[in-house]
Amino acid sequence: MPIYSLTWLPDVLKGAGLKVGPVDGWQTRGSGDVGEIRGVICHHTAGPRQGNMPSLRTLIDGRPDLPGPLAQLGLGRDGTYYVVAAGRCNHAGRGSWEGITSGNTHFIGIEAENTGLADDFPWPAIQLDAYQRGVAAIFKHLTLTVDCCAGHREYALPPGRKDDPSLDMVAFRATVSSLLSGGAPAPVLIPATEPPKPDGTPGRPTLRRNDTNDFVKLVQQKLGVEQLGVFGPKTEAAVREFQRTHGMVPDGIVGPKTWAALDALSHS
Amino acid sequence: MLGSDILDVAIGVVFVFFIVSILCSAIREGIEAWMKSRATHLEQGIRELLHDRDAVGLARQFFEHPMIYGLYAGAYQKSPTSTWWPTALTRGRNLPSYIPSRNFALALMDMAARGPVVDQATSSPISGAITFDDLRANIATIGNPPVQRALLSAIDTAQGDLQRAQKNIEEWYDSAMDRVSGWYKRSTQWILFAIGLSAAVVFNVNTLTVVDYLYSEKTARQALVARAQVVAADPASPSTTYNLARHELESNNLPIGWGNRAAKVAERTQGRWDVLVMTTLGWLLTAIAASLGAPFWFDLLNKMMVIRSTVKPHEKSPEEASEDRQIGSAPPPAAAAGSAAAPPAPPGAAVATTAAAAPSPPPPPAAPVPPDQVDGCDVGVVHITSDEDLPAAEGGVA
Repeated sequence: MPIYSLTWLPDVLKGAGLKVGPVDGWQTRGSGDVGEIRGVICHHTAGPRQGNMPSLRTLIDGRPDLPGPLAQLGLGRDGTYYVVAAGRCNHAGRGSWEGITSGNTHFIGIEAENTGLADDFPWPAIQLDAYQRGVAAIFKHLTLTVDCCAGHREYALPPGRKDDPSLDMVAFRATVSSLLSGGAPAPVLIPATEPPKPDGTPGRPTLRRNDTNDFVKLVQQKLGVEQLGVFGPKTEAAVREFQRTHGMVPDGIVGPKTWAALDALSHS
Repeated sequence: MLGSDILDVAIGVVFVFFIVSILCSAIREGIEAWMKSRATHLEQGIRELLHDRDAVGLARQFFEHPMIYGLYAGAYQKSPTSTWWPTALTRGRNLPSYIPSRNFALALMDMAARGPVVDQATSSPISGAITFDDLRANIATIGNPPVQRALLSAIDTAQGDLQRAQKNIEEWYDSAMDRVSGWYKRSTQWILFAIGLSAAVVFNVNTLTVVDYLYSEKTARQALVARAQVVAADPASPSTTYNLARHELESNNLPIGWGNRAAKVAERTQGRWDVLVMTTLGWLLTAIAASLGAPFWFDLLNKMMVIRSTVKPHEKSPEEASEDRQIGSAPPPAAAAGSAAAPPAPPGAAVATTAAAAPSPPPPPAAPVPPDQVDGCDVGVVHITSDEDLPAAEGGVA
């Protein structure tokens, strides 16, 4: 299996302070390799309302009438980029942008999880922010200008064939432009530990997938998950659900805010 | 569908026309302040009325009459005479842009009774007060038969009442002034058209691209209609200044201006011929709209807002969703259970439940499609990926 061209995607996105989850086998996935990348087309999945990225499997495998992968990147509701493929994907279809009509060959497709309906609007702030930062990071890497960023509905021909993404692309590009020119604030990262307590004891560490320590057991006990001491997918899903019900960003990462909410849970 | 979408596009366009008209009217006023063509119109109108097109006789005497002379600075200098389109762009210099009908009547009656203001004798108090009979008897001093005729009929229908005669002359003047203002309006319309065309080119306001953009961009359309609603509700809107109108035009993310990619006709059409025709036609439409004036568009905007409020947009009803969206909005039952607590649905079962929801059920692609002609957007989710099945993520933590 050949390794395709877009292997730089995870590092570039991580370098922009974004959460990146590579999907197994992403380096060799694609319907052939991409050509010279000339821009990015933004999509939304119009998938179900539940979960962080319910459309991911479909993006990877395609659907009965269309073979996957359907986009290089999937953007979860928590602002995590799932890297699906390093090769060409069936995302653009017939259309034209900046004179380019072979969209699948020359554009990177980003499918953001959104129903495209009123029940999912406005988009989560963290997801929109990650969307813009991700596009800006890709453009910076490829030294492209902001005009190379198209919404799928702007690209698609005949006009009106597509209605995604349900975003104001003019405002979107304006933000990407300010990110490219360095006029935007740096990304907000999750602290690695809680701030030290007043009595000097160090704060608890931030936990995420694949961590193994006693703090993980503590979290598992509070959430009623099997206490194995390993931060596995089930624990992560439970953390996301907990965060969702408590109005936090459902990213499955136990940072200072989630710790505080877990503490409040055990007090009550 | 027709109810809200088409109407909203129309409202958006009318709103843009309104703003452009304000802009053009403001520019027109600026030109007027410098050209004073209103004064030229008035002067030429009076010359016409007094049957003295070349301003050598009665019209000159009239403008030099003390009742009128006080209304402007400096000496009377007639505006250049031309036979066609007399005054649209000729400068009015110092002439008055408004002469009250009372001043006109008094000046004319004075000239009829006492003759032109040339010597001491006619202007001395011993010449006596104007009487009705004086007026009628001395009318020949005007030396202008058509005006004499008009004055005579005004005097004769007054039946001996000097006040009444003055009133008649005022009415005669007013009806002539109606004509002058119609004349002025028409020439203004031409100037507005010219300004509108330049503005359309300078700001690249192309009606066709605006319509196209509003039609395809739902969010932009809704935002613009919302803004239009605010502006239409404010009765002070038609008197908005140039700067505010310009700000309005720039702040609404409209597909106008030269740097704006949404405004590029080339993006929306194919072929050079189309581009040329679409651009010219779009600009001409904008210019014609501007020549109709801001009050016209403001009225229309308000009328359309009334229609819009009676045609309720059915936002909440499901049949509004497009076909693409219905796929997404009808997740299989497995999705409801696909939360963190539930076990992951077996892929086979998920395929079975969603097959019905997929747009065109099974047929695998038989005919080879060019690789760049296919897309999977608005994915049409087949397998629901639960949170447990997501891969581990890195990054984002300090």
